Amino acid sequence: MTVTKGNEPGTELADQNLVTLTVDDVEVSVPEGTLVIRAAELIGVEIPRFCDHPLLAPVGACRQCLVDVPDAGNGRGFPKPQASCTLPVSPGMVVKTQVTSPVADKAQHGIMEFLLVNHPLDCPMCDKGGECPLQNQAMSHGQGETRFTEKKRTYPKPLAISSQILLDRERCILCARCTRFSEQIAGDPFIAMAERGALQQVAIYENEPFSSYFSGNTIQICPVGALTSSSYRFRSRPFDLVSTPAVAEHDACGAAIRVDHRRGKVVRRLSGDDPEVNEEWISDKDRFAFTYARQADRLTRPLVRDPETGALEPASWPAAFLAAARGLAAAAATSGVGVVTGGRLTTEDAYAYAKLARTVLGTNDIDFRARPQSAEEAEFLAHAVAGSGLGVTYRDLEEATKVVLVGLEPEDEAATIFLRLRKAWRTNGTQVVAVASHATRALEKVGGQLVRTIPGDEAKALGEAGLAPGTIVLLGERLARVEGAFTTALAAASRSGARLAWVPRRAGDRGAVEAGCLPNLLPGGRPVADAEARADLAAAWGVASLPGEPGRSTDDILAAALAGEIGALLVAGVEVDDLADPQAALDAVDAAGFVVSLEVRASAVTERADVVLPVAAVAEKAGSFVNWEGRRRPFEAVIPVPHALPDTRVLAGIAEAAGHDLGFRTPEAAAAELAEVGVWDGARAPKPEVVPGRAPRTDPSEVVLDTWRRLIDDGRGQDGDRHYQATARPSVALLSSATARAFGVREGEEIVLRTDRGAVAVPAGIADIADGVVWTPANSNGLSLLGILGAAYGAVVTVERSVPADEADALSGPPHPHVPTEEDEQ
Amino acid sequence: MSAAPLTPVLSRGWDHERSWTLDAYGDYAALRSALRQDPDEVIATVKDSGLRGRGGAGFPTGMKWGFIPQDPTQPGGDKPHYLVVNADESEPGTCKDIPLMMANPHVLVEGVAITCHAIRAKKAFIYVRGEVLHVIRRLQAAVEEAYAAGFLGADVFGSGIDVDVVVHAGAGAYICGEETALLDSLEGRRGQPRLRPPFPAVAGLYAAPTVINNVESIASVPCIVERGADWFASMGTEKSKGMTIYSLSGHVKQPGQYEAPLGITLRELLDMSGGMRDGSELKFWTPGGSSTPLLTAEHLDVPLDYEGVAGAGSMLGTKALQLFDQTTSVVRCVLRWTEFYKHESCGKCTPCREGTWWLVQTLERLEAGKGQEGDIELLLDQCDNILGRAFCALGDGATSPITSAIEHFRDEFEAGMHTPAWDLFPYEGSTAWAKPATDAAKGATA
Amino acid sequence: MATLKEQLWDPIAGFGVTFRTMFKKPVTVQYPFEKRPTAPRFHGRHQLNRWPDGLEKCIGCELCAWACPADAIFVEGASNTEDERFSPGERYGRVYQINYLRCILCGLCIEACPTRALTMTNEYELADTSRESLIFEKSDLLAPLLPGMEQPPHPLRLGDDERDYYSGQAAARAVAEGSVAAGPGGEQ
Repeated sequence: MTVTKGNEPGTELADQNLVTLTVDDVEVSVPEGTLVIRAAELIGVEIPRFCDHPLLAPVGACRQCLVDVPDAGNGRGFPKPQASCTLPVSPGMVVKTQVTSPVADKAQHGIMEFLLVNHPLDCPMCDKGGECPLQNQAMSHGQGETRFTEKKRTYPKPLAISSQILLDRERCILCARCTRFSEQIAGDPFIAMAERGALQQVAIYENEPFSSYFSGNTIQICPVGALTSSSYRFRSRPFDLVSTPAVAEHDACGAAIRVDHRRGKVVRRLSGDDPEVNEEWISDKDRFAFTYARQADRLTRPLVRDPETGALEPASWPAAFLAAARGLAAAAATSGVGVVTGGRLTTEDAYAYAKLARTVLGTNDIDFRARPQSAEEAEFLAHAVAGSGLGVTYRDLEEATKVVLVGLEPEDEAATIFLRLRKAWRTNGTQVVAVASHATRALEKVGGQLVRTIPGDEAKALGEAGLAPGTIVLLGERLARVEGAFTTALAAASRSGARLAWVPRRAGDRGAVEAGCLPNLLPGGRPVADAEARADLAAAWGVASLPGEPGRSTDDILAAALAGEIGALLVAGVEVDDLADPQAALDAVDAAGFVVSLEVRASAVTERADVVLPVAAVAEKAGSFVNWEGRRRPFEAVIPVPHALPDTRVLAGIAEAAGHDLGFRTPEAAAAELAEVGVWDGARAPKPEVVPGRAPRTDPSEVVLDTWRRLIDDGRGQDGDRHYQATARPSVALLSSATARAFGVREGEEIVLRTDRGAVAVPAGIADIADGVVWTPANSNGLSLLGILGAAYGAVVTVERSVPADEADALSGPPHPHVPTEEDEQ
Repeated sequence: MSAAPLTPVLSRGWDHERSWTLDAYGDYAALRSALRQDPDEVIATVKDSGLRGRGGAGFPTGMKWGFIPQDPTQPGGDKPHYLVVNADESEPGTCKDIPLMMANPHVLVEGVAITCHAIRAKKAFIYVRGEVLHVIRRLQAAVEEAYAAGFLGADVFGSGIDVDVVVHAGAGAYICGEETALLDSLEGRRGQPRLRPPFPAVAGLYAAPTVINNVESIASVPCIVERGADWFASMGTEKSKGMTIYSLSGHVKQPGQYEAPLGITLRELLDMSGGMRDGSELKFWTPGGSSTPLLTAEHLDVPLDYEGVAGAGSMLGTKALQLFDQTTSVVRCVLRWTEFYKHESCGKCTPCREGTWWLVQTLERLEAGKGQEGDIELLLDQCDNILGRAFCALGDGATSPITSAIEHFRDEFEAGMHTPAWDLFPYEGSTAWAKPATDAAKGATA
Repeated sequence: MATLKEQLWDPIAGFGVTFRTMFKKPVTVQYPFEKRPTAPRFHGRHQLNRWPDGLEKCIGCELCAWACPADAIFVEGASNTEDERFSPGERYGRVYQINYLRCILCGLCIEACPTRALTMTNEYELADTSRESLIFEKSDLLAPLLPGMEQPPHPLRLGDDERDYYSGQAAARAVAEGSVAAGPGGEQ
């Protein structure tokens, strides 16, 4: 709770000017500028408070934290009690809290009585009941009986300020934490105070919902039950809940969360408190998207394809292990096995795949990049990322003079980074520069500037971003589609003294790099091409040798499978619509002689697999992620699910059935082994040398596609909560006014984006975007651009103005493969 | 007593033909002479005159000007300076600034120009209460006239000094009379008081050093510059120098503005205003608007200056003398004021927001004769929990009439346990309409 | 060495109670052939009460579960909607279970109930042959519908708004007109 200026205990504290004051007759020394309320915490005195929040600017609105100050440090005291949340310490100050001062105690009781005057007595039905700061502090600092017998202020309740957030104005004590959070931290001031006096209330603008990706945080910091979520409404009581600390699995930020579950079912998630990572904030995706693992399509039993009927039949685990082991071993012995792992695995699971591929299947054909990729990217990861440990950190971002974002939209793709950048800009004046086609709202909210570029030209534009020592460059995973971007970034950084960091989109991406789920990389950053590194690892693993031939990338594995060069596929957690060519991927899976799929829920791959092994979702297993900083984020299993095993255990079972010993069976053992194998200290892989490319040329009917996934979209990890999904933003295709004029398109009109695969119709929006570029979300509102158009970032699409009537039905493309999302009530 | 004359300075020309025009006012001679002086000299003159803030707190005006950082190395010193005139006169009973701006807006405009020169501000804002549209129009017309005459704008009187004045209309909130709430409102935000520090002198309007003064304080500057600090200091008492406008209202024969030296007594003012109405007997009065504790007939000889009134347990405030006679129910009167505070509480802090809400309900009970045992103690305790606990002075002000009324008229509150105020003090008994029509007509023409 | 009194008199004296009781009226009850009424405040099986229009009084607040020392109660709340109303107000108890294998009939739950939804009846015959049958669901615990009551979900029948509903004025009028049952729904 206490956040003083020096967050590093001991080390920084000594450097700062300490101020000594007396709180309740106890002398305490705190850094200059500390507020009295925090100084009191240091001697163990908790002054009651509502509006005060360590991460928000002081406001002094609720007046609950009144203390007596008989000496302000200048020999004179304050004649009246002072709000300790707005009063900085001064040398020689004497503070008397409720513990030693009857005046302060009376003042606090008086304020508490006032707060309760208009607070309804509906604690039994309030979601906050049992964990309510007002309830608790009314017990500790309030009177037992009320003297207020008159009429309370009433309002209709509740009021939906967005589909997810409900406002109960009667309960609100007007501390303004929510409005201050929205304005200061999130930069989305869509809620504000309206009216005055006792009728003051939190309000939204007319017909404008509270549309913030961080709206859920207001529920958590609300000191009463005024803000509640539709999803959690009336679901549970604090005493029913078991709380387990965990790590958010929806992006590579590694945000600390708290998972609250009741009788084996997660009912809500809250932000954890990790000052080094996400402080006390998480995005709505991290908070509300947790129902995906209990959808109707959840796999609950191992399935093996019956050779006679050709149907998938339930099987026992040993039988499924045996079937998988036989098929894989047979293929390994002849044509080989390709392993495609996806980016959602824990580091331990990724390590199990990496080891299984090398030791049991004898191949380097393993790649975690279930998305558009490039060889340059793999070389970059091997050279600059793998085994590099903790690199650029959140704190570094906060202290940087300049942060350059290339191929990364922080709010949509790495929400915790966005919040840190906003904080850096507000407190430190950090300059944020985005190399992109247009300035997003997030860029405005971090006070950023734009270096305008067309997708594909990033390498060239990077030169205009003005790198210098003290600059940090964040590279997004979209750059895999930009020739020479990584090469240029490495060169520019080493020239200028700027620091680089790679920010992938998925939680397991960085861990997969560390674990060696790449064709050119072994665990611990060992290059496959380095015989010494191979020998080192072979010794650690106790095997004679490891395959020395660099493997194939995901695209190449699938192409090889389609061509019949690879006999079997081991696929883990891969959505085909994420891949560069979804149709080709499905054909490849069909063409492969034998397919083993480890999945949480049924998918297009499990339908086609020969052996399907149900695995545990993130909340059901222990493990760790490595976030973009390179920080290991371990977590324990939240809820045990008997029918689902961690991937590690399943792979160990397959290995054993094939007559090998993987060396571990549990994530814990895998983590221990990975730690023991350690990081390669030999020569690093060479850096990529790719000549920077240019943006594709377009003819007058074409534009270059700029796209990324929005924070809240159709991702399957977000299935199951209709209140949350309703907060997704509507799709729009952004064009510059010149481009729109060239195509004769007006704002709001539907335009059709077309490739040889298909077409999507999206309403046009006019924006200050580079000419000849269209931006539209990659997977929103039922439109998966990869799935329907086969078009990724930087692709060329044609633009058509109107929708021919006979084609109107076909435009939306194939229905999105997500199952009806009525909340299940099991 | 007859030796205490009125000293019409600000109100001198109020009865002149079209007194609000530049023709009637003059040619800004004080500004002309001030511009020839060094700004620090002007500040020194105002300091020497002993002029104190006329908005109620009585802070020395010259000292306030001196707080503005003029050295660029000081915090805020490198930013532009602003002058903001607080013309959001909304206190119940207070009506000095509005008649002043109505009848003599140019004295304010001239004062603004001189003050801008003194504090090295290029821009001044006059924040006028939104409800008084006619005053806003008159002030705007006066500013236009001054611009046209070259008294405002670029290079005033060829001195090389620029002064711009903006007349800003508030939206009708009492809280915007609080100086930091006024600044927020002027910046386009919700009018709610700001956290201090930083003080407006360092980070006020647009986070730049800002002087905020009452209309009457600024309007008093031209005559000080013109006639000298000694002349100004010769009026008034030792610590409260100069003349000021006393606003008499209520059950007096001739309510209105009386400009007199500070330190005059209510008895003297009553003599000049023809005394209480016929049949009226002074029961209680406010020295400076409803936020100042009530005084009674015992206090007729209290000198009406900052120290004198404070000595009697009240505050000089805005010198809004509201006089009430024996037909007035103290409980009812206090309830009306409390309703005002409840309506005008901005809602930012708990004690003021919830306290005034509750006080009204308790007082309503007492007015209706349905008070309960312990209600008076409850009222006093509520006031104790508001006073000094609220964010700004609005909450404190709301408690003053209640605590002082209970102090002086406890028996009336006790009567509220059983008898409604309208039985004890029937409306028909008020001198307001108990008089024969002829008397009323006489009062109106007097 | 025992005294004479201890050897002779004491063994006989012990039968004194027996002899005396032989001439008193027996207290044995021939249960289950003969059933006696319990004390009026006997702690028996629970009951979930209704408002006079049939709506449930339970709001699913779980305070009973919180109070329960034996962890015998499981409650899950849910939102009333305009179309599906089970109780007046925002919240109702969607799931309500009492496990009589755990319940010690202490009555702390009924003291905790803020709406007097949960009370205890005098029924004490709570034996059964399976564990499942001793977990009473909401349907087992709800008070029977009295005349004038209507099976929820249905809209408020005792007034247009909640103030009217709870103040009972509209209800009193309805009772006077004979359209709903008198008294708070079956509460004991």
